[in-house]
Amino acid sequence: MQKKKQKIVAMLLAGGQGSRLNSLTKNLAKPAVPFGGKYRIIDFPLSNCTNSGIDTVGVLTQYQPLILNSYIGIGSAWDLDRKDGGVTVLPPYTASTEMKWYTGTASAIFQNLNYLQQYDPEYVLILSGDHIYKMNYELMLDYHIQKGADATVSVVQVPWEEANRFGILNTDNNHQVVEFDEKPKEPKSNLASMGIYIFNWKVLEAYLLMDEQNPNSSHDFGKDILPKMLQDQKDLFAYPFKGYWKDVGTVQSLWEANMDLLDDNNELDLFDQSWRIYSVNPNQPPQYISKDAIITNSLVNEGCTIEGNVIRTVVFQGVSIGKDSVIKDSVIMPDAIIEKGCYIENAIVSSGVKITAGSVIRPKEEGEILLVSDEMLEEMITN
Amino acid sequence: MNKHLLGVIDATTHIEDLEELTSHRSVAAIPFGGRYRLIDFILSNMVNSGIQSVAIFPKFQYRSLMDHLGSGKNWDLNRKRDGLFFFPSPRLDKPIFGINSFEHFAENMDFLTRSTQEYCLISNANTIFNMDFSPLLDWHIDSNCDITEVQKNGRSINLFLVKTSLLLDLIHTRKETGYLNMKDVVTDLNSPYRVCHYSYEGYALTVDSISTYYAASMELLNREIWEKLFLQERPILTKVKDEPPTRYTSSAVVFNSMIANGAQIEGTVENSIIARGVHIAKGAVVKNSIIMQKTVIQENCVLEHVILDKDVKIEQGTTIIGTEQVPKILRKGSIVKGECVSS
Repeated sequence: MQKKKQKIVAMLLAGGQGSRLNSLTKNLAKPAVPFGGKYRIIDFPLSNCTNSGIDTVGVLTQYQPLILNSYIGIGSAWDLDRKDGGVTVLPPYTASTEMKWYTGTASAIFQNLNYLQQYDPEYVLILSGDHIYKMNYELMLDYHIQKGADATVSVVQVPWEEANRFGILNTDNNHQVVEFDEKPKEPKSNLASMGIYIFNWKVLEAYLLMDEQNPNSSHDFGKDILPKMLQDQKDLFAYPFKGYWKDVGTVQSLWEANMDLLDDNNELDLFDQSWRIYSVNPNQPPQYISKDAIITNSLVNEGCTIEGNVIRTVVFQGVSIGKDSVIKDSVIMPDAIIEKGCYIENAIVSSGVKITAGSVIRPKEEGEILLVSDEMLEEMITN
Repeated sequence: MNKHLLGVIDATTHIEDLEELTSHRSVAAIPFGGRYRLIDFILSNMVNSGIQSVAIFPKFQYRSLMDHLGSGKNWDLNRKRDGLFFFPSPRLDKPIFGINSFEHFAENMDFLTRSTQEYCLISNANTIFNMDFSPLLDWHIDSNCDITEVQKNGRSINLFLVKTSLLLDLIHTRKETGYLNMKDVVTDLNSPYRVCHYSYEGYALTVDSISTYYAASMELLNREIWEKLFLQERPILTKVKDEPPTRYTSSAVVFNSMIANGAQIEGTVENSIIARGVHIAKGAVVKNSIIMQKTVIQENCVLEHVILDKDVKIEQGTTIIGTEQVPKILRKGSIVKGECVSS
């Protein structure tokens, strides 16, 4: 079935487990993890797509897809419910010959070549659902076209001392990629790949078909496809991105990214009307702040009832915080109930968790962030 | 459920006393409670009671009402069968025939005759309540009533339940009977119909003046009352906006207030209702007030007992003081420069 031809189609890799987020991703995929008082991580790439004028997006899901799938729905929250294109959820499937899971980033796209073929696009944008950032992909596409590239990799400058944790790109003065260094011990550059790629569709198709035949390949863009293209002297360019970009792959970094929102000079301005971050709106009443409440330097979403003391904290929808409770430097996820007289510091309280009156929750070590879940509370009681 | 109940909302109500809030919108579209408009209550009640077909009869200045309701999607009324219908009056004359005017319904007979629902619930659009209509319908049928009028504390809240066929009869025979609207029928002691009164025990307040509007808004700050209005199982739905969560800076001082998303609070807010996207700057003090969408209050302003409509801008250092009886109202888009205004 041939659909209306698209200039560019985005493929969003949203199947990741995000195991370093521990119990937060026990029942949901990492892109569905709540962030910033009302969002889920996937709202950022999806909103970036719609704000960049990209209206055809395939979302590849695999790990714990229930919440993620129902959240995406038909994409109306991001204005991606379209007659042509729109959002399509792409799970792994059985074909006549075999049943295959997505084993790598490239194999996931390979299995959905039929999705791309029906649009016969000129370009394919590969995204991941793991990062918090605002980016105009249209500018990256302009750059890709202007450079005459076969593939363009978006890069961000990371601190030199952290460069050994990233896929590093070494480039010439013209930003042409000369070398890939996956987690180098001695990095020659601090330009890290953001996992965002634009490919010319025909080139991508050819390389995916080739890669699938290679039994030694791990079927990964960073490890296999891009190095092979470089080896074949294809034109690869690095697109330098400036602005806020954060991988929220750990409890610590998820907490930090939430706290960044409370910084007066934060670069990720959620109030910027020209680049709205869309999400599925819960449609709850305004938040009620009682006469006993004190709130400073915080983000609070609708449907909350605040009677306690909230300091430098991000509070999601439907949360209630009882009288004489003090919540400091924390993230309280949707529908959590914190009863009277609790003290919570440096914590992420998971969705729907109930914290009984008078509980004191703070990490043992300074600088540590405590993830509060039902299991963790049970353990606390039994110990 | 309740597929046999048709919802009819009369949004033609024009109330002189609300003029300051209705110069550019209908009563049904008056903003309320930081994120709602008055019509959200009746419309959500209908939807939450399982009504799947709602007809809205607007008149005068209904642009903002249409914009608010759109396709009905936020109320799950964008349906292939039934859903949300608009019947603006083809005439612009004053609604001399009163609320629920048969004359106005008569302009859209086609819709009413085509509707398959056996019963019809007719309502005004300016009552604040959260009511389940299923018990009302059961009661109406069990009591063998022709017309049921819903009352709160013995007073009508302009909510009527009739058989659709009877409504059609009333409209057809309006010239002979002289009945201009539902009220006429139920107040006529000699009417041939069995008229019943259903007493509603829950919270209900009809907004018909600035003072009831102000009072109803302030009542929202009473926890017992908002807990009766905002129920998880029967939510009041409204047009959603993609506003970020409310931002409180380190200089913010807030208590006993309702604050909607997208607001940025740097100053002091007390006993007030703050709508979506409002900005209250450092040093500003807002007390006992209603601040509507996207209004900006700059540094060091003092506002007490005021109602600021949408998109108002209060420039720094301004003081505006109203009273509980006569809150000071500033119309949509007003700009006030450093001065003292008190009433």
